[in-house]
Amino acid sequence: MSLEKVIFGFFVLLAATLNFGFFIGDIDDPTLHNEYELFAAVVVNLIATVLKFGDRTQIGAVHLATSLVADLQLIAATLAWTWATQISAAGLDGESMASVVSLSGGALMANIVSVVLLVIETVSFQRR
Amino acid sequence: MIGRDEARPRAARRWTRIAAAVQGPPTVFLILRRMRAPLIVLITIFAISVLGLTLIPGRDDAGQPARMGFFDAFYFMSYTATTIGYGEIPHAFTGAQRLWVIASIYLTVIGWAYAIGSLLTLLQDRAFRQALALQRFTRTVARIREPFLLIAGYGQTGQLLGRSLDALGRRLVVVDTSADRVDALDIEAYHADVPGLAGDARNPKTLEHAGLGHPYCEGVLALTDDDEVNLAVSMTAALVRPDLPVIARTVSPAVGHRMAAFGSPTVVNAFDRYGDHLRLALRAPASYQLMVWLESGPGAELPPRGQPPRAGRWVLCGYGRFGRELTEDLRAEGLTVTVIDNATTADEPWVVVGDGSEPSVMARADLGDAVGFVAGTDNDTTNLSLVAAARRINPELFVASRQNRPETAPLFAAMRVDSLLVPAEVTAHEIYAQLSTPLLWRFLRDMPALGDQWAEAMIERLHKRCGRRLQGLWRTTVDEHDAPALTRWLGGGPATIGDLLRHPDDRDQRLDIVPLLVMRDGEVALGPADGDELRAGDQILFAGQPWDRRALLDTLTIDAVSQYVLYGRRVPSSWIWQRLSRTPRAG
Repeated sequence: MSLEKVIFGFFVLLAATLNFGFFIGDIDDPTLHNEYELFAAVVVNLIATVLKFGDRTQIGAVHLATSLVADLQLIAATLAWTWATQISAAGLDGESMASVVSLSGGALMANIVSVVLLVIETVSFQRR
Repeated sequence: MIGRDEARPRAARRWTRIAAAVQGPPTVFLILRRMRAPLIVLITIFAISVLGLTLIPGRDDAGQPARMGFFDAFYFMSYTATTIGYGEIPHAFTGAQRLWVIASIYLTVIGWAYAIGSLLTLLQDRAFRQALALQRFTRTVARIREPFLLIAGYGQTGQLLGRSLDALGRRLVVVDTSADRVDALDIEAYHADVPGLAGDARNPKTLEHAGLGHPYCEGVLALTDDDEVNLAVSMTAALVRPDLPVIARTVSPAVGHRMAAFGSPTVVNAFDRYGDHLRLALRAPASYQLMVWLESGPGAELPPRGQPPRAGRWVLCGYGRFGRELTEDLRAEGLTVTVIDNATTADEPWVVVGDGSEPSVMARADLGDAVGFVAGTDNDTTNLSLVAAARRINPELFVASRQNRPETAPLFAAMRVDSLLVPAEVTAHEIYAQLSTPLLWRFLRDMPALGDQWAEAMIERLHKRCGRRLQGLWRTTVDEHDAPALTRWLGGGPATIGDLLRHPDDRDQRLDIVPLLVMRDGEVALGPADGDELRAGDQILFAGQPWDRRALLDTLTIDAVSQYVLYGRRVPSSWIWQRLSRTPRAG
């Protein structure tokens, strides 16, 4: 057991689960989506991305790519949320909440790919 | 041999790779890998600070409880952590908030310091800088778009040769184990940029980085002072690029044979060549003088003509590889040789065993009735003292010595040794002769057969036309590519070399150019006379000054100049004027 692999797997999974936690629930109901969870998702995703830096294998490259996509989507979701709560006159209504959640849904896709890659990597490592 | 303008087919211009992907390590990955921990620390610190600010209860201006949103918290942390600091927004902070912010400020400062410190450490890291240098070198080499020579070993020989080849306008790429020598490349006044890599040439990867597989690589020179390395380089080159010419230096005939087993490298053995030179100098001093002059490269001054004694006994100190080679050569010339060596196993009657610097040993060699003396040990101090001792016993001696280190050159110059072997120079001159133009090599090979008088006349001619310093040697081919104008007019009537060398401004004057050799259908004629006829397809080796070369270039390429120079006819040079005057265009 290598500590590096534990930490790596932990963050990849945590990023996916947080993302999922924020995403789940009616898409236009602000009460079902916790902003703290979105914040946690962004932070954990960023850390997961940095953890993937410097791996020059093919699978490492795809890992990094999926993470970057997830970051991009989550930051876009955060920006949408900021726009709705701070700038928009309408406030955090159902429409703006839907766009925030759908963006985080995109990030969730990328995070799921990340997890799948992690599983593939683990399985192929075991066979060797 | 390698011709500078040897055109390789377009299809052949492809990289030959040793391994699937031999590249320098991408430095961006190195940075990313090293920056992982600092970046994660920074992200965590930011996240904790922002989260804390949103959780700690605050109060708005009206005294009502109000919590900071994520947006405000992130905004506040961003300007606080970057030490800009606007103040407490959106409301004045409560005591609890301030307490938290104090902790956050110190945490972020630690985070930044750690991240920036790591980055600076990385930039100073030796491995990182090497990776950076290697990457820059690989990129520079890959970008070269003209033929270049790969030189492994940038010692004395490499530097001498590099300067001569650079003066000829050849591109070079250098690999050497010593980083100092590679750094010296930047200081040297080369015309072209010479990329250099500090690395072990025995490693095929190093050679690959240096462009062994590059489509424009036109030859490999193994010039290190280690025979083993030279062997490895010529082997690698022969296996990876069998089409490339390889020139390798060695001092051992055995290694020379091993090199020859791979492909057909040109092996240059300085000791062997010096022996040949000395034999030539014994037999034909003028031929030897001409050879040294032509081999020395652009700007070389006419060397003095020595006259080694042709008959008598020679005394030779040092019976190593050099001593043995030279003894054989001198014997082959019909001279007797006495050898002094203190640690020889050779059980030969002509060997005096003992230290040459001891007077009693010197006395046994009986220098009094000898004619020549060679100080041939591998120690310069010993050689110098041997020369001095020998001169004291017999001032009439012809003294030859071997100079091993470049630093001792002034001492040997002050000693006024009659003949000096500097292995690095012999090798460099030999390789220069082979690389500069194939015709020069041909000339030097065939020239001794023509005898000493011929060589004397040739030196006289060169001296009169080109002065004491020989500036340039170049090859001209009378064909469509090199001489478009000349070939067009050659169909119109006969012309001689003398006609070709008339001055473009005044055809009664002759350019100060000496034709050294004409090659026609594989047959060479040395030292052609001005009256010799010129034919299309001739390759001519000229010697002369650069300005005369440019004048000759006009004759070769401009129709009107060519016509005037060859036949004295003035023809219009512009297209319209040619139409108007209805001058028939030849060709």
